[in-house]
Parts: sequence; structure tokens; C-alpha cells
Amino acid sequence: MRKILIGALASLALSTTAMAQGTIKVALGTTLTQLDPAKTTIGDEYIYVHLMFNGLTRIDRDLTVKPDIAESWSASDDLKIWTFKLRTDVKFHHGRTLDAEDVVFTMKRILDAGTGSRARANISMVTNVEAVDPATVKFTLNIPYAGFQDIFGERQMRILPKDKIDTISTAPIGTGPFKFKSWSPGDRLELEKNPDYFEKGLPKLDAVSLRIIPEPAARLAALESGAVDILWSLPNEAAEKFKNSSSVRVDSVATASWDGVILNNERPPFNDVRVRQALALTIDKEALVELALFGQGAPTHSPIPPSHPYFNKLIGFKQPDIEKAKKLMAEAGLANGVDVAMPVPQERDGRVRLGVAVRDMAKAAGIRISVERVPFASYTANVAGKAQMYVDGYFARPTIDTAIYPFYHSTGSWNRQLWLYKNPRVDELLDTARKTNDQAKRAEIFGEFQKIVDETVPSIIAFSAGHVNGVRKNVEGFKSTPMMWLELKDVSIKN
Amino acid sequence: MAGYTVRRLLLVLVVLAAVSLLVFAITAILPGNVAHLILGQFAPPDQLKALELKYGLNDPVLVQYWRWASRFVSGDFGTSILQSRPVAPLVAEALQRSLVLTLVSFVFIATIGITLGVIAALRHGRPLDHGISIATYLGIAVPEFFWAIVVIMVFAAWLGWLPASGYEPIATAGFAEWGKHIVAPVMTLVFGHLAHVSRLTRSSMIEVLQSPYVMAARAKGLPERVVVVRHALRNALLPSITVLALDIGRLMGGIVVIETVFAYPGLGRLLVFSIQSRDIPTLQASILAVAAIYALANLSADLLYAFLNPKIRYGRSIA
Repeated sequence: MRKILIGALASLALSTTAMAQGTIKVALGTTLTQLDPAKTTIGDEYIYVHLMFNGLTRIDRDLTVKPDIAESWSASDDLKIWTFKLRTDVKFHHGRTLDAEDVVFTMKRILDAGTGSRARANISMVTNVEAVDPATVKFTLNIPYAGFQDIFGERQMRILPKDKIDTISTAPIGTGPFKFKSWSPGDRLELEKNPDYFEKGLPKLDAVSLRIIPEPAARLAALESGAVDILWSLPNEAAEKFKNSSSVRVDSVATASWDGVILNNERPPFNDVRVRQALALTIDKEALVELALFGQGAPTHSPIPPSHPYFNKLIGFKQPDIEKAKKLMAEAGLANGVDVAMPVPQERDGRVRLGVAVRDMAKAAGIRISVERVPFASYTANVAGKAQMYVDGYFARPTIDTAIYPFYHSTGSWNRQLWLYKNPRVDELLDTARKTNDQAKRAEIFGEFQKIVDETVPSIIAFSAGHVNGVRKNVEGFKSTPMMWLELKDVSIKN
Repeated sequence: MAGYTVRRLLLVLVVLAAVSLLVFAITAILPGNVAHLILGQFAPPDQLKALELKYGLNDPVLVQYWRWASRFVSGDFGTSILQSRPVAPLVAEALQRSLVLTLVSFVFIATIGITLGVIAALRHGRPLDHGISIATYLGIAVPEFFWAIVVIMVFAAWLGWLPASGYEPIATAGFAEWGKHIVAPVMTLVFGHLAHVSRLTRSSMIEVLQSPYVMAARAKGLPERVVVVRHALRNALLPSITVLALDIGRLMGGIVVIETVFAYPGLGRLLVFSIQSRDIPTLQASILAVAAIYALANLSADLLYAFLNPKIRYGRSIA
């Protein structure tokens, strides 16, 4: 019997069918739950959204915002009225040309609480949106908001066809480089080339097949055997394995997602800025990247990643200075050191490693940390806003304002939940930034902001985590993107 | 026999109703509802309220249950909340794929299991018997997900004979591609389920082989093959057949794990997915499908047993 079984296996293995030219197969770990872009919530869904839809603007590889469906935009002097000029050559996959009414429809749909889009909060300042003519859309806001155009690069904000919305979950239609072919929940999503895509000559591929493979070992095996061409989000641990591979390369990029040690600025011992500074002085951020991420990331000062044009390169990363740290501890009245507990989320291996590394570094200055592994699910109830210090991390936000303002302004929603930091100069800078539309001035403002948080240490933002993809070597033109979605329109496959 | 069958079928319906009520109760106790899931951890309260109202999540559990049950009975399985698509075709498609997996595995379990049992009985107490025992026990004692990963590592990553996971529809990809994708899950399921059948076949074969009528057959000078197959096996198979019927139910349990590991888009995947997303209409329909198969498998085991063994016909007074 065993012989028969092996014989059958071998004959099946030999009968490989001819593969379609120019079809790329991508392995994802989690099934998509949504095909309606406005309601998407997870990275695996954003990949699909990015391949099939366009926003008014898009976020480029260097995290700057570029025109997409909107070819230009302008704001009134008080930054409360924003006018977007649309391209007139954008066609939906069912052949109709996109116009201003589709944009208005999409925005009103997101603003409707019954739709259930997470992006509604992003545009809560919009009081009215109207189509001035078929190629012009006007937004009226209730507050001045510089960088309003950035919001439209967000995943849920992609423009949908107003006449095909009833089938958006079953037969979605967009404007993107690829169009919908079929969807088998939990198994695969098949997309094919959109020959009428408005960027001429793109996409190069004939089709994209997104395969859902939940089991990590199976995902790796599929990449190794060539059953898939790209493995999205390779675990850092696995990157090592492909270092000397002849068929697979590891492609990584610094993202705006960050991990760090959250310090409660209102509870001892970290209510004393000198203790926070002492802790910071013990930490070697470059070593943290090696220890926690196996090198797949880059140290940073704030949620602004090193890859962003606003990143302040002048601050630099200093080597630990234990003498100075000890001196600051003594000044704070803690010459004999201090004991403090630090919860780490037990399911997130990288963050556990980060916590352990910080514990070992902080010891030198007398900050004796005990690492407590707790389930991530209990973080909201027991850890966030309660513990003196803990390890956590946050995903990339679509814009600098959404990544910084809620986290560092004294009234910010995330600040109130995380570190409870208050600095009048930071408040002033962030308020000014919202009213400043000039790029150079904004870079200056956020540069000063980074310097202040580096000196006053609201918390230790350790690094921007890298996003790592496993890619077969016959895939040409693929580069990982900092927003963690897949850019496949200029990718091709060599046979 | 007919009355007994009807009564048992009614009982199956009662079981299914109880299962659906239980599932509803459990999902009501679990923290968070589908509105929270759609909107995330820091959803604005007004938006949460709007969604909860839209899906009727604030009504008492019994009202929600009644709303779902009355539609279900009339054949309207509802719409998946998260996916915004009708549940019936979703479940039907997944069920069909799972049944294929179950039936193919079942055929192998039956043939390989019985063959191994017979061989072990004939080599009773010898090394081959012990070898078969150890192998089948290993299959049942170590959890399926472990063997699944072993199969992936050996046949997909190392030998490269099989795809690591996934599914190809027979209609578009052809028989060979379809077959290639189900070999690994079937292999894992079969290995994990061989022990019951083979052990039972072995022990009843040993018993039967020592019985007077087998001795008589041998004394008559019949060839050993005829003695084993026609005289001994026929009588020894009775318990094996009932345990096989029960195995169909057990297989349905096994596919939840196997389908997840092998990314096989069947009922098990759908079930896990709908639990994670608190998608109650999909969850109810897929759990009821699993429960129905389980109950029917048990019922057919009982009926088969009665049918094959006149000594224990049910529903008739024996005394």
C-alpha cells in the first residue's frame, strides 16, 4: 500500500501544468474579511485595496504625498476650504470615467456613521463636500488643517464608483492597476491586469493571485518551493534563513511603525525628567535593533521614521553614558537605584526581546527592571495608562499630523492613554504645524519637536521596525514600501 | 426499525436546535461584538451606536435568536455581516469541499485500516504486528497539527513533491492539480484516524480466527485466503463498520485543524474565521452543518449496527 501511495505522489508531482505568464502569486497570513475599501481594517486587506483602488492622493515610497486621482489642490488662506482638481482620464474597471460626483459620494459614505468606516474620524473636520464641476471637488472644514491632502492617501479613503456600490463587497470595482476577477474567502483573491489603467504602460503583470496561507511553516515552504513568488511580511527570524538562498531574497524597508518603552510621566519614578533622561542614557538604540529585530529596522527619536524627509538627522544616536546617567539618578534622589516592573506583551516576540534588552542596559544606572510577560489582550484593561513603564508599539499613521499630534500634544487622545506628557513648547509647535502649509517650515517645526522629545524623553521610542518581504529572485522590480502594502504595478516576472 | 429511525431523526433535530441556541448564548457572552470589530479599539461611541442599531445588536439575546431562527427555518440563512454576502452559497461551497476531503480520507482510512488490522491479526504477536500497533498509535497519540507540519516540511519544503498548502478547483485547474493539493491533508487525516479501525479489526479478527467455524473451514482444507477473507473477515468486520461510521463524525472535527494548517478553504476554515470575526449568521450555519453531519454519522452507525446484527434490532421487544 505504501508503495502505491508513494507512486501516486510521484506521478502527481511530475504532472506539473504550464503556468500562466506574468502571474504573480503572493502569500498572505490572514484572510481578508472585507472587500469594501471603506471598511478594511487589516494589512492583508490594505494590499488588495492598494492594488485595485486609487485615492485623491497617494503616499510615495519616501512617505511624501503625491498626486493620484487629484492632479493638483489648493487651500484658502485660512486653510479651511480645500479644492482638488481631478484627472479626467481615470476610468473605473467597468468603463465609466471617474468624476467629481464619485469623490463626493465616497466621502459622504465614509462620513455616514452607518457605513462603519474607521476612516470617519480622519475627516471629522469636514463639514461639507461638493462637486463644483465634473473635475473639481471642494471640501469645507471647521478648523484650519494644513496637510489635509495627506489624509487621502489613507487606505479606507479610496474613491469608489457611485453606481456600483451595492456590489462592492462581492464584485468590487475600482480604478487601480488591477481589477477584480474572483474571491474565494479564506483561500485566494484573483486580480487581473486593468488594460485601461491611467498610468500608461502599467501594470506590467497579467495577473495577481493573493493566496491565504495561515500556517507560518506552510507559508515559508511555499516560498521556498516556488509555489508563491512573494511572501508578504516575513518574520524577522526567518530573514536569516534566506541569507544564502539561491532562489529567494529578503527585501526590507524601514516603516513608520514603531516599538518602544512607554513611561508614565505622572507616576514615580518617571515623573522626574532626570530619571527618564538617565534611562535614555543607558540605552544603545542601534544595539536594540540588532537584539530585538535581528537588524531589520532603524533607530529613531519619535514616531517620525528615519526614512521621512522631516526626520532630524542632526540629533544622532549617542553611545550610552552610564556616568552621566548615575549622576542624574543621584540628583533625582535615587542614588541607590530604583525597582520597577515592566509588562511586555508575551505574544509579540520582538517586543519581549526589546524589553529584556532594555532591562539589561538599564541595570548599569541602577534602574532595576523586572520584565513581566502578560497577554496582549489584557493590555487595554490592565497595562495601558496604569503601569509605570511597559513595552508596546504602534502601526504607521497615514500622515505626520496623525502620527504626532494625538501622541504628543497635551490634549492628544493617545498622549492621555500612553505617557501623559506635557510640554508647552511642543503644544505650540504642533498647533503651529497644523496651520503651516509650507513644507520647509513644517520640516523645521517637526525637527525642533524631535529635538525636544529627545531631550525631555516622554518615552523611549526605540526604532522604526522594518517591513520584511521574502521575494523569489525571478521577480523583477519589487521594492517593499514603508506603508507595508505591496506595490506591484511596475513588477514583472522573469521565467 | 422504521419507527426507531424516525424517532432518532427527530432527536437529531432537537440536538441541532440545542446546538444553535448554545452557540448563540456563547457568542453573546464573549466580549465585544461585530460593531467593535468593524470599528476597532477606539471607535467613536456615536458610530458604534449607529452600527449596533443597524445590526440589531442591542436587542435581548432571545429576540436576536428568534429573528435568526425563524428566518433560518424558512430557508433564509442570512447575510454574513462582515463580508456582506449571503451565507448559504458561502457555506454550501465550503461544505462541499470539506465533504470531498472527508470522503476521500474515509475511503483510505477504511481500506488501509482494515488491511492493516487483518495483517496484524494474521501476524499476531510477531514484529509486524507490533510495528503496525506502534505506527497507528503514534498517529492517534500525537496531535494532527504536528503531523500536518511534518508533512509540509517533508513533502513540500524538503522533497518538493507537494504544494505546501492551498486548494485548486477541479473545474479550472484539472484533476492533477486538484489531486496534488489534497494529498497532504488527506495523508494527515488518514494517519491520525487509522488506529481505531485497525485495532478493532485486529482484535475481532484474532477472536474470529480462533473460533470453531474457522477451524472447521481450515479442517475442510479451504485455501487460507478464502478462510481469511470469506469466513473470518466478514464476521470480524461488524464492529469495524460501526466505528468507521463514527469516524466520519470525528473526521469533521479533524478538518477544522487540518484545513487551517493547509489553508484548505472548507467548512473548518469558515468556522474558525466566523468565530474570530463574531459573524454569527455564518458561524451558526457552519456549526449546524458540522453538527448535522456528526449526528447523522452517529445515527447511521447505530442503524448499520442494528441492520448488520439481527441480534440487536432496536425498537423490538427482545425479552
